[in-house]
Amino acid sequence: MASRPTVSIIGKDGAATGNTHPMPAVFSSPIRPDIVQEVHKGMAKNKRQPYAVSEKAGHQTSAESWGTGRAVARIPRVSGGGTHRAGQAAFGNMCRSGRMFAPTKIWRKWHVKVNQGQKRYATCSALAASAAAPLLMARGHQVMTVAEVPLVIDSGIFEAGSVLKTAGSVAILKAVGAGPDIDKVKGSKKLRAGKGKLRGRRHRQRRGPLVVYDPAVDGKELVKGFRNIPGVESCPVTALNLLQLAPGGHLGRFVVWTSAAFKALDEIYGSTTEPSAHKRDFLLPSNVVSQADLTRLINSSEIQSSLNAPKGDALTRRSAVQKKNPLINKQVMLRLNPYASQYAKEAQKSTKE
Amino acid sequence: MASPAIDNISADLIWEVVRNNNSFLTKSKRNGGVQFSRDPLNLINKNTRKHAGFVNDKAIGVVRNEKGFTVITKKPSAPTKPKEAFLKSEHSGNNSSRKAYKSVANQTAKNGYRPDLREAAVQRVSAIRQSQRPVKPEPETKLRGKRAQKAKEAESA
Repeated sequence: MASRPTVSIIGKDGAATGNTHPMPAVFSSPIRPDIVQEVHKGMAKNKRQPYAVSEKAGHQTSAESWGTGRAVARIPRVSGGGTHRAGQAAFGNMCRSGRMFAPTKIWRKWHVKVNQGQKRYATCSALAASAAAPLLMARGHQVMTVAEVPLVIDSGIFEAGSVLKTAGSVAILKAVGAGPDIDKVKGSKKLRAGKGKLRGRRHRQRRGPLVVYDPAVDGKELVKGFRNIPGVESCPVTALNLLQLAPGGHLGRFVVWTSAAFKALDEIYGSTTEPSAHKRDFLLPSNVVSQADLTRLINSSEIQSSLNAPKGDALTRRSAVQKKNPLINKQVMLRLNPYASQYAKEAQKSTKE
Repeated sequence: MASPAIDNISADLIWEVVRNNNSFLTKSKRNGGVQFSRDPLNLINKNTRKHAGFVNDKAIGVVRNEKGFTVITKKPSAPTKPKEAFLKSEHSGNNSSRKAYKSVANQTAKNGYRPDLREAAVQRVSAIRQSQRPVKPEPETKLRGKRAQKAKEAESA
């Protein structure tokens, strides 16, 4: 990386304040969807609560098999008489009111341990992806109206306390161009299909911007202003969460940074050479290929100078073509015998005489 | 040239990340699993590297508006500033088709912007303009032969 690019800090009215901040090193981490997906898959499982069918389900009957010789299957059958239930098959997973196949148990392996190194790698990767506008668009965020990606707003706004109210927070988000993304979320609220409706997951909706703040500077009060805006989430920069940075394992969450949080990133994540101040022995992952632009690589003077010159002439004869009969095709005959034309002329002369 | 300001990201990398799954992609199980793109910067609506406008540094999109069409282009020098990067120019439906094609062709191919997209851009403009033309009412079929005679008789009677 030649020089670190800078990001401008945006003020309350959506115009740049004129202040800039160099891009924190974490944004040049490698973008690895494979790692992010794996880590997300593990982490998403860690909030699950055990469920199982009743231990007794399908076994609350004293059924016994009738054995052979009664011209019915040897499955256990409900004993007794006087009701329709008597004589019906029981217990088997193929039976009506039987037990399910392999009844679910509460001791299923619900939670997955994800290595800390992998979790950190994934977080860095997700952060780097949040700085690429095409990836935000690919995730479905409406960022065409946003001034800059990553979007950094001045922390000074939050000191005044105007953002304590939801209306103030909405006004700021709209001013910086996040309005279309919020509107998209608002219109996306749908009733969930299936039983989830009865289980506390009644609606489903899109995710909007994620507001990342620094609790030490911005305070925690600003959360109150953002928490009732549909789709908007907030997160302290010291506890970034992959489930929020890459929902569904898809890279490119639209993140709105406060300038204090943005500044804190370098201290929290360190760089590829300087260890982080907060995570012990953690160095940022470095890129295997430092220049990701293939066209630029191919056209670079280093590559071009070490290439072999193209072999052969500009025009090459085709190898496998139909054989032509030289006795019929004059051009082929000439190629084989350059003197053929002279012979032909002489032969013509001799016939004339 | 690199898409965002940092060297670790390029259009090539982004394409590899998003080619199988992105918000613009519509996958279908019918018709041999055909895949389309809803990207406004995609001229032929196919999910291909060449036409994936939101990925490429330079891209052109033609979108219809009420009267004519809007051409969206991407400024390659401002990859991190979406507000500046997407340039829109509106074309009204009033001027002739030939002029519309010419201006769009120039916009795509001049100054080495994306000459490979010129044909697709002009075709899209043509399709949009055709869809905006008023539909001529079908002329009433003239009756001939016996039916014409019958109609005549009915009229005179």
